[in-house]
Amino acid sequence: MAELEIRNLHVRTEDREILRGVDLTVRTGELHALLGPNGSGKSTLANTIMGHPSYEVTEGQILFDGQELNEMAPHERARLGLFLAFQYPVAVPGVSVASFLRMAINAQREEPIKVKEFGGELDHAVRLLDVDRSFTSRHLNDGFSGGEKKRAEILQMAMLKPQIAVLDETDSGLDIDALRTVAEGVAKLHDEQGIGALIITHYQRILDYVKPQFVHILMDGRIVMRGGPELVARLEREGYDPIREEVGANA
Amino acid sequence: MPETTPPETTPAPRKAGTAREATLNYALAGSGTERMPLADSRALALAAYERLPLPNWRRSGFWTTSLEQLDLDALEIRTHSPDAKGQQFLAGTPSAGVLVQRDGSVVYTQLGADLAQRGVILCSLEEAAKDHPQLFDRYYLRRLRLDRHKLEAASAALWSGGAFLYVPPGLQIAEPFQIVYEISEGGTAQYAHTLAIADHGSDLRLREYGLAEQIDGDALHAGQFELYLEDGARCRLAQVVDWGQGGVHDVSTSVVEVARDAYCHWLPALLGGALIHHHDELAVAGAGGDMAFRGIFFAERDEHLDVFAVDLHETGPSGGDVHWRGAATGESHASFEGLIQIHPGAQQTHTYLQIHTMLLSAEAELDAIPSVLVGADDVSASHGGTVGELDEALIFYMQTRGLTRPQAVRVIVEGFFEPLIVQLDDPALEALIREKIGAKLASAAADIERYALAR
Repeated sequence: MAELEIRNLHVRTEDREILRGVDLTVRTGELHALLGPNGSGKSTLANTIMGHPSYEVTEGQILFDGQELNEMAPHERARLGLFLAFQYPVAVPGVSVASFLRMAINAQREEPIKVKEFGGELDHAVRLLDVDRSFTSRHLNDGFSGGEKKRAEILQMAMLKPQIAVLDETDSGLDIDALRTVAEGVAKLHDEQGIGALIITHYQRILDYVKPQFVHILMDGRIVMRGGPELVARLEREGYDPIREEVGANA
Repeated sequence: MPETTPPETTPAPRKAGTAREATLNYALAGSGTERMPLADSRALALAAYERLPLPNWRRSGFWTTSLEQLDLDALEIRTHSPDAKGQQFLAGTPSAGVLVQRDGSVVYTQLGADLAQRGVILCSLEEAAKDHPQLFDRYYLRRLRLDRHKLEAASAALWSGGAFLYVPPGLQIAEPFQIVYEISEGGTAQYAHTLAIADHGSDLRLREYGLAEQIDGDALHAGQFELYLEDGARCRLAQVVDWGQGGVHDVSTSVVEVARDAYCHWLPALLGGALIHHHDELAVAGAGGDMAFRGIFFAERDEHLDVFAVDLHETGPSGGDVHWRGAATGESHASFEGLIQIHPGAQQTHTYLQIHTMLLSAEAELDAIPSVLVGADDVSASHGGTVGELDEALIFYMQTRGLTRPQAVRVIVEGFFEPLIVQLDDPALEALIREKIGAKLASAAADIERYALAR
């Protein structure tokens, strides 16, 4: 059982304060959705959780099982059991999906994974996520379509078995089939591995396939509303404007 | 004496890297059948050697490679008795044949009895001049010059040992021939010469190595390499140069001639040396000739690397594909100039030159200069390239997967070279080059990190 706790997080980049006091707790086995309009600070939160060097934490804490991460390098956070599925995964030229996965797995272990064990896990993951095995011999994200990139993210998540994953707009730019595959992949990993996930999204579409227990709405760098699945339905009906008006006094 | 000009009328040394140089080289290349005796060509070269100053090469107005600091008189040709130790450097087994030259002497030669029986010759060049005069006279210096600069002249005058390989018509050999030039200690001058011939329709793999451990003091490798692919012959040629962290100065000229319907895949991998100045020329001399000219270089610490690569088409139709990749870190200087040259008669030539570079430190300098000289009108010749630095977004991506920053950098740089390495189609050689790149990255890790953090 792991717990990611964000306390009163303030973050700035260059000259602008983007997050202005975010509180959020995600535990293993929980599915959280974080929704918000463009520019509300969603990607900043995702990147800051993983320690992106462009984001400066000016106040507050990020804790993993009570251990403060603020000064920790990204790879150390990954080794604790955190994972970020990127909104825009970058290409890793010259490195196949499979060999990158093996490197990443070995980075988190003392002893390198045995070839046979790795092969078995990879077979299992591609079956679980309904990915073609030949996909894993292509260079990671190099020339991939948008859907393929997102599948590769979920495949990495399946292989690295994080305790808690942050999915940064994994649904953006996907057609409905790709979206379904990705979303079902997340749901399967939740069911099978019991991971906790913070699904960050601008649209609600992905939430048709993954049902979050906890829903948070981020506006102007603060979480302005919390609830359950009913909040997704309300957003779908009304959009962000009524919520903005409702919380306007506090925002 | 069509192939040499008496020293008195030799034009002044030209700036390396200009089109004029390549043209001159071509004009002076041998074309007749009447050959100069070896002793005469050595004497001519010696005269040129004594006359010429130590060279300075200037490129594009701001790049200079100078050997003026090298004390040639302090260097000597060292000889050794035969032994098999040089084999320790070789990647992978089995080989079709092996020849090892340590400093000034060939210390080890091995060729399978069956190949010898089928007419393959692998011996020192000294032996070839005595025992195979017809082949020697026909090919020796056919396309190399004696006197373009002092060290070329020195090599032509003073070479000892040397390697000679002949593969007879139609013979196809899957295992590689391996030729090693090893420098064993400081104070050595190694004048090397490899002459290799792939006769009609033969098919071979050839690897040439320039290797040294960490020697103390300066040393010189002045190498000349010539490979002739006769009609329909095919060769995969790799040259692996790693002179270690000592003071080896490597000034070498390599030429590969591709005759009618012949094909060469050539990859020099320049992976270490205090100073490297290479002139590498791949000449398509027969219709239907084709080539893939690849190259890798990686300069670190205060190394100085200077490559002039020529993609020469003397007749068409012909094909060319030049693709080099280089990186520089530390306080190193690396310059690559690539020239596509198409002669007037070389109609229907299609060639492309690309050079990609990656700068890994603020103090390093890296230049890539492509140029094209076209004398025919029914051709396509173009060039392209990229200049890259470390991609921070990519590093962060890999860090979120648990890789440390140095691990991520290593993946990026290895991935940068990988498109050329995989084309070697030779797992043992691929592994060797990857290992050497990995070792250089490990030794440069602190520099690279400092650069990344400073940006």
